[in-house]
Amino acid sequence: MKIPLHMAKEKDLQAAGLRAVPEEEKQQALVKGIDQYRQWARSLMVMLETCTKCGACANACHSYLGTGDFNNIPAARADLFRKLYKRYFTWTGKTIGRYIGAEDYDAETLAKWVTYFYQCNECRRCAVYCPFGIDTAEITIAARSIMTALGVVPRFMTGVAANMIKTGNNMGIPKPATIDCCEFMEDEMKEETGLDIKIPVDKPDSDILYIPSSADFFSNVDTMIGVAKFFHAIGANWTIPSTVLEAANFGLLFSMDAMKEQNQRMREAAKMVGAKLVVQGECGHGWRAAKMYTEGANGPAPFGLVHILDYAYQNMDKLKFEKLPWRVTLHDPCNYARAGDIIEQPRELLKACVSEFVEMTPNRERNFCCGGGSGILMDEMMDIRMQLGKKKAEQVKELLPLDFFATPCSICKAQLPHVMKFYGMEDLKMGGVMDVVGKAIVLA
Amino acid sequence: MLLYFVGQVLPYIAGAIFLIGVIYRVAGWLKVPVPFQLTLFPAPTSGAGRIAAVGTEVLLFKSLYNNDKNLWLWAWLLHVSLAMVILGHIVGIYFLMNQFTLIGLSASASQTVSAFLGTVFGLTLLISLIVLFYRRLVNPEVKQLSDPADYIDLLFILVIAITGNHMRLPGVEVDLPAVKAYLGSLLAFGPAPIPDSGVFIAHFVTVMLFMIYFPFSKMLHFAGFLVNRAMLVEAAPVYPTPAGTPLRSSFAGARAPVADSGQAKGVQA
Ligand code: SF4
Ligand code: SF4
Repeated sequence: MKIPLHMAKEKDLQAAGLRAVPEEEKQQALVKGIDQYRQWARSLMVMLETCTKCGACANACHSYLGTGDFNNIPAARADLFRKLYKRYFTWTGKTIGRYIGAEDYDAETLAKWVTYFYQCNECRRCAVYCPFGIDTAEITIAARSIMTALGVVPRFMTGVAANMIKTGNNMGIPKPATIDCCEFMEDEMKEETGLDIKIPVDKPDSDILYIPSSADFFSNVDTMIGVAKFFHAIGANWTIPSTVLEAANFGLLFSMDAMKEQNQRMREAAKMVGAKLVVQGECGHGWRAAKMYTEGANGPAPFGLVHILDYAYQNMDKLKFEKLPWRVTLHDPCNYARAGDIIEQPRELLKACVSEFVEMTPNRERNFCCGGGSGILMDEMMDIRMQLGKKKAEQVKELLPLDFFATPCSICKAQLPHVMKFYGMEDLKMGGVMDVVGKAIVLA
Repeated sequence: MLLYFVGQVLPYIAGAIFLIGVIYRVAGWLKVPVPFQLTLFPAPTSGAGRIAAVGTEVLLFKSLYNNDKNLWLWAWLLHVSLAMVILGHIVGIYFLMNQFTLIGLSASASQTVSAFLGTVFGLTLLISLIVLFYRRLVNPEVKQLSDPADYIDLLFILVIAITGNHMRLPGVEVDLPAVKAYLGSLLAFGPAPIPDSGVFIAHFVTVMLFMIYFPFSKMLHFAGFLVNRAMLVEAAPVYPTPAGTPLRSSFAGARAPVADSGQAKGVQA
């Protein structure tokens, strides 16, 4: 079968500190990888052994709804894994395999895995609707991590991984460029407000370490500006780190080892500036990785950890806004709503900043993914990405006309402009919630 | 000879396989760590809230209700009637259908109510099994998802329900006190011969076979449900990490792969 992804070659793998397992050893390595993972995380075994094939998850998954491909039904996707798991790790699978749907490894196995585990956005919506709470995202995370150890990984992921190793951020931005970019933003703010609003880099003795998304230094500058204005307004002693200019943690999306390593960078950066509080910028899976994985990945953390939207919400009484005359809706990033407990905060901020806030349906923990989640941002996947974004486009279309579409996550911000254009809404303005805060805030 | 095996040996084999099998599999899950909190938000924050959240799932199938009302109705009826039937077996046989005298009914009224409830739940079980079997055949997505075992599981319970309901047919007489005495002897580990009634033996044997089948099948979804739900309502981590919090797994303790080599080590850590 044809894999819709550009896969990493030997040199891509090397740059990411990975290696390919030779073809003839792949089966053995895959079975070994599954064995290690199942003894490492309880979720994998329980979720694989509990599904009753009731099919209730089918219509919960935008990936299936958008592509119509059977293997994108959460239970079918998990079954690609489950069939092998049963065959090699259950007594019934070894003896009466066909009866319980076990299957041998064959030449197609990895092609199918890589194809369909990279059409799962790890959005966890299926977990909300499955009667057992089976979270197919857990199976996807496991499958991707196991495949990466075999050298079966999209080139897009190894490219990000190589940048993470080199610079600590996905875009490969070196420190001098970071400083340039901050100066540029400071000038912009000076021009706009007449105030000296700083974006300090690696400033020692900072109370707060703010970890932006690296994309906020390219395409989403307004988010970073909004954050800087906010910190200025509350008089915070803050800095950004040049060593981990990245709220994202792509490790979660392709390799648990890389996840652990990127998490370690965040801890070291906090230690270096002596921060008591780490504030994470607008990045969905990055927030999940920070909030839910920091303790599990590297043990106890000595600092507080909060999301910028939560932090801004907690400080709302110190802020003054002049409402923008806008009709705005909010896309709940999956990793905020279902995986990160950021649900009401962005709503409260938006309501304070704009004249009309409208909800899309469904919303909050029932929201559909943008279709880019879990780093499915590859150019070669553009057709599939548009199918993955179909549900979102339908949701937004119902609310037109809109002045602004708030999508407070870097992956959503990268995916949704394409989706809106594809579905005939190219004029819609989009950006983060902090962009709106930055525009509505009144500074003294 | 065969009756001796079926009546006095098989029940113990079935009971042992059932118990040991279920415990073995669940223990196999529980001994594996949960390296990261899998809290699914919005999540309850207190112990009572967690119990309430899992409780409404257990009793009402809340997620399924919100998702697919049609499937919910039949799945819920199936499980509720099954629970009632099991409860009815315990209470009805123990009290010889006189259990409702405890709430003030006369003995004959109690037996009528007991028989009525038994029939209602027995038939509900039968019908919901048939509907769910039919659904598996006609819903294209579910059909493609199903393995042979998924049909057999339903048929297996269907056979139990049919043989059970058979005993309620008019004209079929089963000597309830004899059944009670027999089951009592089994539980007291002094097995008496099985009552010589074809319909009872058919029902009893299918239940024994089902108990043997149970731990190897997806019937364990009842336990997976609880283990899974417990992970989804676990408290989210707090930072700074409170002093004395134990490491969640050895992964957290292992040194991070050297920062600038990025060498993937596999997850065994
Ligand atoms: S809803 Fe849950 S149990 Fe039903 S098929 Fe999907 S994953 Fe399996
Ligand atoms: S996590 Fe999201 S994309 Fe993946 S199977 Fe579940 S609903 Fe579909």
